[in-house]
Amino acid sequence: MLKKSPILVCAVCGVFMITQYFITAEPVTDLYRSVLDWMQIIFVCALLVGIINVILRQVRMASRPGRERIYPFITLFGIALMVILGFGWGIARGSPFLWVFDNLQAPMQSTVFSLLAFYVASAAYRGFRARRAESIILVLAALIILLGRVPIGEIVSPHVPSVVGWVLAVPAVAAKRAILIGIGLGMTATAIKVIAGMERAYLGGR
Amino acid sequence: MGGGRRFFARAGSGFLFGMAILFTLPEKAIAADWFAAERTPELVAVVVCAIAILVSVYAARRRRFYVRPLAGLTAIDDALGRATELGSPVVYITGWGGDLARPTTMASLAILSHIAERVAAYGTRILFPSHDPMVASAAQDTIRQGYMKAGRPELFRAEDVAFVTQSQLGYAAAVDGIMSREKPGAVFLLGTFEGEALILAETAHNVGAVQISGTDSTIQLSFFLVACDYTLIGEELFAASGYISGDPLILGAVRGQDILKIIIVALLLLGVLLGGFGVDVIADWLS
Amino acid sequence: MKFDRRFIFILIVLAVMIPLLFPIDLPVAITDETRAVYDRINVLDSNSVILMSFDHEASSLPEVRPLAEAVLTHCFQRDVKTVGLALFAEGTAIGYDILNDVAARYGKMYGIDYVYLGYRPQYSAAILGMGESIRGVFPADYDDTPYDSIPLLSGVRNYDDIDLVISVADGSLPTYWVEYAQARYGQKIIAALAAVMVTAYTPYVDAGQIDGLLGGLKGAAEYEKLLGQPAAATRRMDAQSLAHLSIAVLIVIGNIIAFAVRRGKRITEEGRS
Repeated sequence: MLKKSPILVCAVCGVFMITQYFITAEPVTDLYRSVLDWMQIIFVCALLVGIINVILRQVRMASRPGRERIYPFITLFGIALMVILGFGWGIARGSPFLWVFDNLQAPMQSTVFSLLAFYVASAAYRGFRARRAESIILVLAALIILLGRVPIGEIVSPHVPSVVGWVLAVPAVAAKRAILIGIGLGMTATAIKVIAGMERAYLGGR
Repeated sequence: MGGGRRFFARAGSGFLFGMAILFTLPEKAIAADWFAAERTPELVAVVVCAIAILVSVYAARRRRFYVRPLAGLTAIDDALGRATELGSPVVYITGWGGDLARPTTMASLAILSHIAERVAAYGTRILFPSHDPMVASAAQDTIRQGYMKAGRPELFRAEDVAFVTQSQLGYAAAVDGIMSREKPGAVFLLGTFEGEALILAETAHNVGAVQISGTDSTIQLSFFLVACDYTLIGEELFAASGYISGDPLILGAVRGQDILKIIIVALLLLGVLLGGFGVDVIADWLS
Repeated sequence: MKFDRRFIFILIVLAVMIPLLFPIDLPVAITDETRAVYDRINVLDSNSVILMSFDHEASSLPEVRPLAEAVLTHCFQRDVKTVGLALFAEGTAIGYDILNDVAARYGKMYGIDYVYLGYRPQYSAAILGMGESIRGVFPADYDDTPYDSIPLLSGVRNYDDIDLVISVADGSLPTYWVEYAQARYGQKIIAALAAVMVTAYTPYVDAGQIDGLLGGLKGAAEYEKLLGQPAAATRRMDAQSLAHLSIAVLIVIGNIIAFAVRRGKRITEEGRS
């Protein structure tokens, strides 16, 4: 019974969440609002589990000798620092917590994000090869879109923006819709299997 | 009466009963003010989807449905074999964009269970850095089960499956670091990805790993198609687990999806045809 | 032919840096997409209340900040009441800063003209919850002031009292706004997105599920032009234009080299046979 209880809970909750969408009675709506609150509570608990997981892992890594032993210490120092700053001086505007966020975390994240610009260039150079008819169309479409989405496209030709608009509005949307329908059906099937107890990947294996 | 006929008798009766409720009760329900009548098209869609999937899954127990070969999946064994020969680990990434509740993540974990079993049989390490503690926990159990099924539980290392961070670029940086240090022979990018997709794919390429990818994000699919060796497009990711394992439940669900696609295409064609004559009954009802 | 990627990286660095140091001032043409968003906000007035959700991380700030500022500028020019919130933890402080900065330029009063509710985890639950009761999801604002004591929020119960939701995002969060707020509650949505996400949401615009789409730095530059206030996005368009041109040139060069190598191999094989 203990093994089957998560599956039963999942089935009951799944059927309820489907049913409440169609039923507007007050008791059902109240229960639905309660479920939404509990989702947020569970998320926070999962976050706590994650934080403990990270700390334990970093402590284990710090206890192992090696060249990279400094990094777990930096991670643990960072966690401790932000907790102390947050609880000690608050997170309002002008606080040390926000200063660290604005001057350390945000620039570091932007730096990693900017790698995309370089990787897009190298992936485009590597990947866009006109070998067959389909790939020639792909390369031409890529070139048109690249130029058309910036002011340079209008300088190259006044027709570029309208061509770009057509490419984005017609073939691109058609392809995306087809893929989205397939993905939507896949998700629906997986959800139905989870509710029916056939899919148990969330329990860590069958 | 045999089991199959009994099932269809019950299903048929239930269906007719459900249809009777659907078409008669709403009038009473509207009077009682507890049924959202404007959502009837969605209710019909839910019922039709559920019937198509469940009936197909049941039918799959009696006969094996065909799934066409998917290049990315036939390459899995080669990729794992390559990693084993190189003495390198395998890295499995489910992407930053999905939590455990997301069907795409569940489909990815289903594939992971098969890969974990094969990796265990080969004696190769599998690394699973995660952005979500619940996904990490489920993956840890999945991989442990895989090692146990392969009869090599002693090779399982819990520290190879870890929650890293919830921050998107922090996660990308951490996984890039893992790939740069460990130099995996194969990298699986299967799940829901966002902006970190290309960063991960390019780094995997730079360390010389074979990349097998698949995502439900149409944007990141474009990046994967350009940057990765093999890419599963859209619902191929959901069919992958069934293809690898031959599990009739999953193959049945794939067939159910195909049936639903036929229904959607038929509705589309009918709607376009009727729309050409100025009859918008289908479009009006669906909206 | 093996080509050192670092040459590509250097080219991109130069393509971005040079126009920032020596502006070219390329003209920005207004697209129908941006004009549609502008017109949509232009019909709002001091009786309207919008919800602006900062659904992005710090990493995409250089791209989404100009978008958010342009839209907020327009809203404050029209005296639209603005309720800000964040569904990503990192977007919380950023959204608060942006909202306060733009509001200060127009002499707007906190609590009367605008308010910031802060962050709520589990975005699907938060979006669905606001459809029932915004107060239920945010019992107090970012500064812990009770919901009921904020004048702007006195008539704001749920989506019925919100004229428009603007999601400033760098990821797929607008999908959840569409799936939950628009599909279930009929809420009007505008998405102000990082450029890479724009094509993913065009189907939603065509289907009428999203009322408007503002994409990337170009969208922000176009909006600044419509407002008559060129700012950060306009300045950065030169750099983006040159970067795009560089990538296009790289694609062409790559194909020419690949073609030449293939031709050379074919000639060699023909010579052997």
